[in-house]
Amino acid sequence: MFTDHSISKKLTWMNMLVSGVALLIACVALIGYDLVTFRAVAVSNLSTQAQIAASNSISALLFDDPQAAQNTLSALKTAPNIKSAGIYTLDGHPFAAYWRDQGRQVPALPSMAPGQTEAYEFEGNQVVLVRAIESEGKPIGMVYMQSDSQILNARLRRYAGICAIVLVASLLAALLVSSMFRRTVAEPIVRLAEIARAVSRDKNYSVRATANGSGGELIVLVDAFNEMLVQIQERDGALQRGRDELEQRVQERTTELETAKKEVEEHSYSILQAKEELERASKFKDQFLSTMSHELRTPLNAILGFSDLLPDERYGPLNERQRRYVTHIHTSGQHLLNLINDILDLSKIEAGRLELAFESVRVETSFREVLDTLRPLADKKSHTLSHKVENDPYVRADATRFKQVLMNLVGNAIKFMPEGGHIELAARVMEGQVRVEVRDTGPGIPAEEQKRIFESFYRLRQSEKSAEGTGLGLAITQRLVEMHGGELRLESEVGHGSCFYFSLPIAPSIRETLAQREHPGLKASEPQRILVIEDDLAAAQLIESQLVSSGYEVVTCDQPQRAAEVAATLRPNAITLDLLMKPIPGWEVLGQLKRDPLTANIPVIVISVANSPAMGAILGADEYLAKPVDRAVLLAALERCLGAQPIELGRSILVVEDDDATREVISELLTSQGYEVTTASDGAQARAQIATTLPTLVILDLLLPNVNGFELLVEWRANTRTADLPVFVLTSKDLTQEEETYLRAHAEYLFHKQQPWQEALANQVRRVARLGQMENA
Amino acid sequence: MSLVRVADSIDCFVLRSSIRRRAGYCARLAVLLLACASFHLPVSRAQQSPPSEYQVKAAYLYNFGKFVDWSATSVAAKGDGFQICVLGQDPFGPALDAALATQSIDGKNVMARRISKPQGAVSCRILFISSSEDHQLKGIFTVLDGAGVLTVSDIPQFSQRGGMIGFTLDGNRVRFEVNLATAEAAGLTLSSELLKVAVAVRRNTSSGD
Repeated sequence: MFTDHSISKKLTWMNMLVSGVALLIACVALIGYDLVTFRAVAVSNLSTQAQIAASNSISALLFDDPQAAQNTLSALKTAPNIKSAGIYTLDGHPFAAYWRDQGRQVPALPSMAPGQTEAYEFEGNQVVLVRAIESEGKPIGMVYMQSDSQILNARLRRYAGICAIVLVASLLAALLVSSMFRRTVAEPIVRLAEIARAVSRDKNYSVRATANGSGGELIVLVDAFNEMLVQIQERDGALQRGRDELEQRVQERTTELETAKKEVEEHSYSILQAKEELERASKFKDQFLSTMSHELRTPLNAILGFSDLLPDERYGPLNERQRRYVTHIHTSGQHLLNLINDILDLSKIEAGRLELAFESVRVETSFREVLDTLRPLADKKSHTLSHKVENDPYVRADATRFKQVLMNLVGNAIKFMPEGGHIELAARVMEGQVRVEVRDTGPGIPAEEQKRIFESFYRLRQSEKSAEGTGLGLAITQRLVEMHGGELRLESEVGHGSCFYFSLPIAPSIRETLAQREHPGLKASEPQRILVIEDDLAAAQLIESQLVSSGYEVVTCDQPQRAAEVAATLRPNAITLDLLMKPIPGWEVLGQLKRDPLTANIPVIVISVANSPAMGAILGADEYLAKPVDRAVLLAALERCLGAQPIELGRSILVVEDDDATREVISELLTSQGYEVTTASDGAQARAQIATTLPTLVILDLLLPNVNGFELLVEWRANTRTADLPVFVLTSKDLTQEEETYLRAHAEYLFHKQQPWQEALANQVRRVARLGQMENA
Repeated sequence: MSLVRVADSIDCFVLRSSIRRRAGYCARLAVLLLACASFHLPVSRAQQSPPSEYQVKAAYLYNFGKFVDWSATSVAAKGDGFQICVLGQDPFGPALDAALATQSIDGKNVMARRISKPQGAVSCRILFISSSEDHQLKGIFTVLDGAGVLTVSDIPQFSQRGGMIGFTLDGNRVRFEVNLATAEAAGLTLSSELLKVAVAVRRNTSSGD
């Protein structure tokens, strides 16, 4: 209730309230006390009067003289406090009665306990008292008296009036006193508050408060306030000065900035130019890289091709030295090719042009495939390999690149460890990721080299003597891991081996869903029999179910050492072959199959994680599929093998190749096998030749002057005359996913010049030719 | 005294707690009944018929004793009993003995004595002179002169004729006259209370007849 009032009002209120409340309490207490006392006195008076009346009416009672009793009671007229009185005989008869007023009503009488001679009771403000009348110690009657409440009421009224007057008077006095206080206490504070308000409103810090007429804490308050004002005034001044200075400084800076801006504007034009140059340079670099892959590989292909052909001694015998030199040329060429491939890989990664096909990859499978592939190499150096997988996790990765990473790491370990070491591949789930470790028992890598080891072309000092490796493997591996969202790290201590490790995001395990599809290329009456050679039961079942669901009859062989025998007995229509098997690898099985005339002509589809189709082709595989195999891809490959249109065999082969050396290598390779070879050195020539004579087979380079290989292929496939013309694509171009898909669909075979291709090409040509012979026979 | 009415209203007592608010009669009765109980009054008396004239007179004889001071007389020194004597033919019958039974005045047991000669009355505090002695009143007063005996009688004109307290009848109500002068002459002090209820008080000595 005080919130809106100033302090002086509050003081006044406080004073008046305090005095008012105190007085009120005092009045109530006084009146209460008086009431109690008055009642006691009233009772005592009444008792005395009753005693008198009693003793004065004994004889009247004894001698049955009501008149005498009446006379006694009438004497009460002189007592104003008695309202009514009465005397009763012992048997309860009214004997005499007295009323002051006309009311003539007998009040309710209090009861007397045995032995008592007197009892009283209050009813409101009036007392009713009864007293026994005794004679010679024996009761002979009773008298009652009723006091008049009017006296007490009047007394109370008088008290209330007095209290009210005192209250008003003291409140007025309190008002007076508080107004005096206001002058000494409230007014200085109010003045201080007004000054404070004025200061905060006007920001005028030069005013001062005065403390006249007050003392004690108020003087301290006023002094402190003034002191504060002095300080604020000083600070304000300082602030103002600071602001002025700042403004000046800002002005200066603005001028400087404007000058600088002008300069910058002058520079920016040149920067823009520089940027354009940079962009040009970057584009040039990209272009350079893509041409590099072609331009570098093309001459290398010639070198490798011819150095491969020379030892055949078709044009005269070589002496020992010549043979050795040719081998050196071939080996060095091979190394150079690897180096170029690595550099281009790395460039591609750094240019952001490497595309990853992410999927769920089972770590266990990848481990086993990698170790199986590298085991022969490890055996050569008496290393032992092992792997350990906890919880059978899947990672989100590009299966091929993931394996490339593992291959590189394990391969490095095999390469750089002294003989008789141990390499362990381990994987476990940690914090929602899969941590993959490659641990070896090698000599370890010194701390100062651990950082530099990931740099391109860095090679460990101790390993410099060995010529193997390009110095790019780890750099590529690291980039690949990074592209997968991980980071390749190394823990190593000299003498205690090394551990390369990285973590990749965990992925849900995949479950193959098998789509039921009636295969169009199959005759329902005559189920074709497929032999599946696969030692991993799960993989075998997968392939089997894919084939069975499409109507093939499937026989599975999980013992590779007996596979050739089984195939010879069974004479299946086609064979699928895993490469990484125990106890003998798929390569060997493939060799056995191709050597046995009974099985040599059975198409073999290699299904492997090792992504080296060229190798497959060299050994005579008809199709090369990467694991895990898509059902559609598998069926398409089978269809190609089983239902392939027989090639019309003239032995004429058209080689379309713009590089003279390469063209000659291919021609030489084919003519040495007894084929008739015609050549074209650009797209236009090829187009013209096809238009006149249709060859049995075309070997097509993609990067050609005038019209390129893609355009030719598209043209030919669009023309009914050439729609079924077998085309082998042989290219050094880095293919995009789309290009590769197109080629796999429209060309019979795709050879990369980056990989050793000669042998593969020869094998495939031989296979096609054989097929043609069979048809002719 | 009609104690019957008490019995008539007996139902009022039972409902004591509720009668306070009613008009006074029942409440009054209730209080008195409690008082009766504590004073050991025989309630059975309420069943009896109204007291006869001599029952009242017997009670009055006793009551007179309460308002008379014998300290200045020789009777006070004599004996320790408080004798109320009846001279002549006894009109009370058993009523006097009943009225006096177990009563006492100033710590003295009250007893009734019947005498035939006025000489035997000198040890009495109160002497009721039967109307049979009307003819020899003078002689009796002579015998008792200065003996300090309170003389009471229902002989007509008794107080005028030298007696101290004479019973009269006002309708069927028993009243009495007092001859204060004779009493004081005998050394007795009569309480003003007693005089207050007397029908008449004579203060001058009468010549008598």
